[in-house]
Amino acid sequence: MNILVCFKTVPDLEMLDDQDWVIDKNHQIDTSFLKPSLDIYDESALEIALTLLDASEKVKVPIELNALTIDGPGATPVLKTLKALRFKRVVRIDSQDDLRFKPRAIASVLTQYVRKQAPQDVLLLGRQTSVSENAKTHLLTAEMLGWPCITQVAGIELVDRSHLTVTSQVDEAWLQQRIQTPCVLSVGDAPNTYMRVPTLKDRMHHGKRPVETLSIGDFQLPEETEKLIDLEVTRHARPGILIQGETPEKKARKLYEVYLKERLQLL
Amino acid sequence: MPLKREQIVESLKNIVGENHVVTDEQVLKESSVDRFRRFEAYHGVYRLPLPAAVVYVNSTDDVAAVIKFANQNTINVVPRTGHSATEGGLETALENSVVVDASGMNQILDIDTYNMQATVQCGASLQELDDRLREQGYTTGHSPQSKPLAQLGGLVATRSIGQFSTLYGGIEDMVVGLEAVFPDGGITRIKNVPRRAAGPDIRHVIIGNEGMLCFITEVTVKIFRYFPENNQFLGYTLDNMKTGFEILREVMVNGYRPSVARLYDPEDGSYHFSHFAENKCVLIFVAEGVKPIADATATAIEDIVARYDECVKVDPRLIEKWFAHLNWDPANLAAEKAEIMETRNVCNTTEISAAWGLINDIYEVCMQRVRNEIPDLTLLGGHSSHSYLNGTNLYFVYFYNVVDCKPEEELTKYHLAIKKIIVEETIKAGGSMCHHHGVGKHRTHWIEQEYGSSYYILRKLKSAFDPNNIMNMGTIIPLEK
Repeated sequence: MNILVCFKTVPDLEMLDDQDWVIDKNHQIDTSFLKPSLDIYDESALEIALTLLDASEKVKVPIELNALTIDGPGATPVLKTLKALRFKRVVRIDSQDDLRFKPRAIASVLTQYVRKQAPQDVLLLGRQTSVSENAKTHLLTAEMLGWPCITQVAGIELVDRSHLTVTSQVDEAWLQQRIQTPCVLSVGDAPNTYMRVPTLKDRMHHGKRPVETLSIGDFQLPEETEKLIDLEVTRHARPGILIQGETPEKKARKLYEVYLKERLQLL
Repeated sequence: MPLKREQIVESLKNIVGENHVVTDEQVLKESSVDRFRRFEAYHGVYRLPLPAAVVYVNSTDDVAAVIKFANQNTINVVPRTGHSATEGGLETALENSVVVDASGMNQILDIDTYNMQATVQCGASLQELDDRLREQGYTTGHSPQSKPLAQLGGLVATRSIGQFSTLYGGIEDMVVGLEAVFPDGGITRIKNVPRRAAGPDIRHVIIGNEGMLCFITEVTVKIFRYFPENNQFLGYTLDNMKTGFEILREVMVNGYRPSVARLYDPEDGSYHFSHFAENKCVLIFVAEGVKPIADATATAIEDIVARYDECVKVDPRLIEKWFAHLNWDPANLAAEKAEIMETRNVCNTTEISAAWGLINDIYEVCMQRVRNEIPDLTLLGGHSSHSYLNGTNLYFVYFYNVVDCKPEEELTKYHLAIKKIIVEETIKAGGSMCHHHGVGKHRTHWIEQEYGSSYYILRKLKSAFDPNNIMNMGTIIPLEK
């Protein structure tokens, strides 16, 4: 079973101060001075894929893990880490273009890659990235490929060479279903999915193989139907009150009497 | 005849009041360790003797009364404030110990901007003190990574150092005066004067004692004018640690005092700076102070670095932004716990210091030996973060996957095995095995080698001030078998 995990590295926006949120004429916020890291949903997708690889010997289903990103050279450290973690084919489609709000273009590239370059049985993606938050790429990719798509996936188990048991969240419930491949799976809030860390020896043995690099120019991009017109920073600041008091006990008493007591009585 | 556990608890309640003596089992478990055994603690494994109680004191008189009682009954006392120690200094090594927690003694007593000093109780939060000072245009100049967690008593007790030490010094350079309680219950005050030549500097009996001689209850530290608007951040990539050490040395011996002077090796550098320095060493400087000094310092450093062709300057914002998020607060600790529990990937550190002529050799031999001898490493690197006229420190950083062993075997298999290599190689070369975390309870094995013939002085201090052996036994000086 060939599994392709599509991932993205993103800057840690938590590290931006208020004064950093300046939108330039290209609708960009300068994050070049922030260290990029794996998007959290993509990290979960990668770890879930590795868990499948762990289980593959036991259930005697051979698995080939592959990973792909559309990004600049800044993604190279993550790609090397994935090599060290036994991802077989690790591909970066080089793009310096602004693809933040173009899920149709990304889905089209992924579709072309799977159809023309490297056939897969399962596409695993994080549900959205913190940068553009489209939450559409997985759905559009599934539509273009003509494959079923399950969203909010939290766990996957191997059944046989063409079936998976997929656990996903539906409203407040967990849904478990047996799925036939090929399929697109979009990973949501998945517990216990911090990505494992390769050892230095793994990096020496597996991580030195070159990362495969393709150009976005090798793919045909669809005509743009949506255009980014404007970006606006939204502020979520709320007023706060500093409770004054001589001792923690007095502060706690004031907190209870003035702010909590009445609310608690309503519960 | 030693008191029974119940008698100890009852007596403590009589001294400080029932509400201030905690015997809840989970609290006792968590109070038997510090961050040194955090992997075991995360897994609910507590192997050390549980203390009889944790006593929350509110005044120097409380501390004196509790310690006097412990001294009369030969009960081991573990002094504690912020509970952020990393070297086992807060572990309860003996049965029926009493952990004396002074985090409630958290008042900032005086900020004297004319005489440039601030006096606080031992449980005062460094973050709170520095925030208060900065509002008025001053700073403590002390900024360890534990700043959001640590409290002044513990910082002084462990000879803490901060990220801006090259300008402001370590805590030992900042402490003006102190109040401390000794085992007989006596309260000692060392007055606040700029300098004196009235015999040995007895502040240094107390600073760095790690609770094995006395309990620090009040601290007066210097404060400094704060000019963040003049800060200049400088960053460079380069190929070799040896070149980096040479540059650091040149900056220091020429008398420049950047607040920050750091050198990262390629592994440690990649961990922090992969977005601009993959597989490169990284040099970082921050020049601060009044504008003429900050400007002159930055210009001089740029001139020195320019003489080394392999150095490439990077955008200062890369350094400024990174620095702004270096410290660890409770949210970082919670995130670390979650990540460790899932990945079993653990980070630990060992910090040493040595003269300029030794430091690169120590770096190379330690890196080689640890890499060859320790299994399951996922990162092994190091950086120099505190430089002096005659040498610098090295902070070895290592991550490993805990594989094929129980939580209680993790330390022996990895952290202590690595620490042993680093400590032994450092002492053999002529450096110091502890730069700024303190000895705690897990480097005591080498304390005699560390001190050499001067160990006599350390032993005499212990026997003179703590003749009944009640103060944080097993810390700095090993337990006798």
